[in-house]
Amino acid sequence: MTHITEETVEYLAKLSRMDLEGGEKKKIAGDLEEILTHFEELNEVDTTNVEPMTGGTAQRNVFREDDADTRSEMNGSSKDIIDAFPEHARGYLKVPAVFGEQE
Amino acid sequence: MLFLKDLTIKKIQEGLKNKEFTAFALTKEFFDYIETRDAEVQAYLSLDKDGALAAATAVDVAIAKGEDIGPLAGVPMAIKDNLLVKGLPATAASKMLEKYTAAYDATVIKKLKEAGAIFLGKTNMDEFAMGSSTENSAFKVTKNPHDLERVPGGSSGGSAAAVAAHMAVAALGTDTGGSIRQPASLCGVVGLKPTYGAVSRSGAIAMASSLDQIGPLTKTVEDAAILFNAIKGKDPLDATSVDAEYSDELLHPRLENIKKLRVGLPKEYFIEGIDERTKQEIGAAIEKIKSLGIEVKEISLPNTKHALSCYYIIMPAEVSSNVARFDGIRYGRLDELQEHEPKNLLGIYHAQRGKGFGREVRRRVMLGTYVLSSGYYDAYYAKAQKVRKLIKEDFDNAFKEVDVILTPVAPTTAFKIGEKTSDPLQMYLSDIFTIPLNLAGLPGISIPVRAYEGGELPVGFQLIGKPFREADILGIGQMYERLRNSEPVEL
Repeated sequence: MTHITEETVEYLAKLSRMDLEGGEKKKIAGDLEEILTHFEELNEVDTTNVEPMTGGTAQRNVFREDDADTRSEMNGSSKDIIDAFPEHARGYLKVPAVFGEQE
Repeated sequence: MLFLKDLTIKKIQEGLKNKEFTAFALTKEFFDYIETRDAEVQAYLSLDKDGALAAATAVDVAIAKGEDIGPLAGVPMAIKDNLLVKGLPATAASKMLEKYTAAYDATVIKKLKEAGAIFLGKTNMDEFAMGSSTENSAFKVTKNPHDLERVPGGSSGGSAAAVAAHMAVAALGTDTGGSIRQPASLCGVVGLKPTYGAVSRSGAIAMASSLDQIGPLTKTVEDAAILFNAIKGKDPLDATSVDAEYSDELLHPRLENIKKLRVGLPKEYFIEGIDERTKQEIGAAIEKIKSLGIEVKEISLPNTKHALSCYYIIMPAEVSSNVARFDGIRYGRLDELQEHEPKNLLGIYHAQRGKGFGREVRRRVMLGTYVLSSGYYDAYYAKAQKVRKLIKEDFDNAFKEVDVILTPVAPTTAFKIGEKTSDPLQMYLSDIFTIPLNLAGLPGISIPVRAYEGGELPVGFQLIGKPFREADILGIGQMYERLRNSEPVEL
């Protein structure tokens, strides 16, 4: 039985950069506990010498010629992408300060 | 003039070529119908009437000039709202993307546009495709057209309901653990999840990248084959896409070859917990398939019971990293910053992500963060990746004995709205028969056992194929469909 405390939930919220409402922590702790306890059944599977499957297929690496792509033809114009940004000026993206409260 | 419920891609092509109707009139008819019918079904999140009518006019002009038209010319389609159509909203049913407008076309959309398809609008879904009932949408609850008190399934519930309610001839959905096949089953339409790598995901809002695939929801298996043929193929914008070879049997299956396919029934899929009605319907489907002269035998996929745990570790792990990009800045802000809120970057992330994500998304992000976190990684994530390998090997072994595997799609018919929302584990269990295919990367199709009309709740059966052998499952499906509709099986 896996035990999840509200402190663990707070820690996970911090790691995932996500504020939670106060009353929600208890519900999430309970849900996670139930789900993680269900996962314990995997312990009965013998995985000795089993190679992990790390993707959708057993893919080899995919190479292409090292040429610059014209992204605008393939993936939309940079103008459209910049326009989707809340604040921008002269093609530059404006983001809040990383440190402190200053503008 | 037109009977929307009888339309298929083929009938539209014939009707346009024989000048029985114009693409413009057809599109207009769909919007008129959507206006009344969608008030109760609530399948669409947004409509693009101007864009659709303009595209339809272009098809009519091409026909009038005697030009060749594409294989999907004039076909009115619905698109799941996690797929980008340039200039249209793409909210993924999340408040996080409420103000976002797609800056480019997904590769599948580009291909459909070239083939002449008309996009009526974007359909409702569980937020970021996380759910099995479409109840996790931040905007509305879609109803099952067969019973408005029940869910359409999910997460592609809006797409399935739009096709089932004749508000589109076909739709696109995405499938990470059953999100095309389960709503198709619950709504009585056809839903195909292609092989991992068969269809480019460029322009699909990623949920769990080692599992996600885009596929069609249609009224007939034949239409599913036509749409799959139109969207498949390698794409430089999705490094996991593969240049697989498909013969003309994908579109034109031959009975003599279909008869040679061996079908397996995995005993682990016919277990307690399947409701009586589903059991009976699946039994009827098996009998019909036998009557085509196809050999059916029991097989075993011993690790099936571990698929749910395996999936609910790997998927949230990938979710927690994929949704990291939604930072409340890049795709538009939820609302203006409040006076009391922090003005630095980290503070904005916390506040915007807390407000922007719904409960199920938050739950999965936390779960994914937990199984990836230091100290738990080996016990959960690494263990699940090994179990995933065993599940894939089960299928590899089974496919030495049989060519196609037949199972139920969902353990029950459509459940009541609100019935499972408070218990996440119960909700997760509605995907137990569809999840293993995503883990193994295999193609699967959900086909309605019968034509369901008059208030009966639909049941679908699932055919699972070898990698890149969509032709096998679509082929058996097309023969089944002809038999079911009392049409000649050999064309």
